[in-house]
Amino acid sequence: MVDSKEREIGALNMVMLGLAVLAVGVAAWNVISDGFRAGTDDLFLVLVCLMLALLFALPTLMWAQANGKLTNPFADEAIAEGAADTGTHEAHGGSDRQNTIIWVSLLALTGFEVLLAYIQVPITLMLIVLMGASIIKAALIVAYFMHLKFERLSLILTIVPTLVVLLCLFAIFFPDSFRLHDMRPQEPVHQVEHEG
Amino acid sequence: MAEAHVESLAVNDWSGGVHPYRVGHRKLGMWLFIMSDSLTFGALLIVYSYARASSVSWPTPFAFSPSILFSSVMTLVLLSSSLTMVFAVSAAKQGKLGSARKWLLATMVLGLTFVVLHLMEWRHLMVDEGLQPFELPKEWTEPGKWPGASPLFGSTFFGITGLHMFHVLTGVCYLGVVMARIKKMKEDVEVSGLYWHFVDLVWMFVFPLIYLLSVDYHHVLGK
Repeated sequence: MVDSKEREIGALNMVMLGLAVLAVGVAAWNVISDGFRAGTDDLFLVLVCLMLALLFALPTLMWAQANGKLTNPFADEAIAEGAADTGTHEAHGGSDRQNTIIWVSLLALTGFEVLLAYIQVPITLMLIVLMGASIIKAALIVAYFMHLKFERLSLILTIVPTLVVLLCLFAIFFPDSFRLHDMRPQEPVHQVEHEG
Repeated sequence: MAEAHVESLAVNDWSGGVHPYRVGHRKLGMWLFIMSDSLTFGALLIVYSYARASSVSWPTPFAFSPSILFSSVMTLVLLSSSLTMVFAVSAAKQGKLGSARKWLLATMVLGLTFVVLHLMEWRHLMVDEGLQPFELPKEWTEPGKWPGASPLFGSTFFGITGLHMFHVLTGVCYLGVVMARIKKMKEDVEVSGLYWHFVDLVWMFVFPLIYLLSVDYHHVLGK
């Protein structure tokens, strides 16, 4: 009974790992064959494939970690969490000092963003840096202020990948805006005013 | 044997058991709400980016003073309110209800400050500049400014910042209820904290996308 269950888990892990490898393969094939000629379309395809690969690989990685085949970089928190596993609402979270440090970091990142807005760099570069800083800020808020870092891994893996995938799916439409821009007349159209 | 089995179910992730996420139903409900609300704001911000990228011309009207100055101070206020909220949650967990109440009040005051500053910024744009939700000021479309600029600027700006402001205002009311009934709603301090931090998180994307990417370089530092 136990053997058949272990075989079943092993087979499922292999399937998941195979799908992850397949997704990475599609991303690699896209990069090699197309070389980002289609611009953002290719970029999004590669990103989505890599994200799918991560999602497929996660259960296997978790299984490997649970069976001691991988070390947990957050082992201290995991142990503390396990030790506090006595009820449904444990008191957990960072100290006041840690939260204050996070707050200062968030302010510093905001200051950097405002400063960047006044350094005239290409808008694409500015967008990437600003969004990068915003994602770091969002991650700090979610992890420390919202205590997600101290929750069970199952909750984290239910919330974060779902949101990331859905937002990326929204963003798949975005490259279409460049095509729409290119199809518009480049000279501003003077509006005819109908008065009287 | 059976107890050990139940124990392993409770410890292993994805194993189900009685408490698969080990959080209360209110907290889980708030997380689910936050996920759905994230998609609302995510969709709006992507629509904004889409409209901007597909337009031939898009206004970049925000001068350092008052727009960028105000929005930066608003960011500072909102981030500070998150810190006071963290202190409120911490105090409530330690059973210091009086202290939790004070921190909640501080959070509400900072939230209201954010709303007031935001309304002042809106007033400046609507009254002084003449920006309307579906119409740009005539001066903005003149040569030398942003001729042919999309009127979607106003609708996306007021739509996104307005929805965010509504969330802040709702949060202030929510915190007020939690503060008034803190003895009965001790657990809700943490749940309301999740909501408040989420509102803060959304602003971390609204601020750079709406304001910082629309800085008017002609008015840099009053030049």
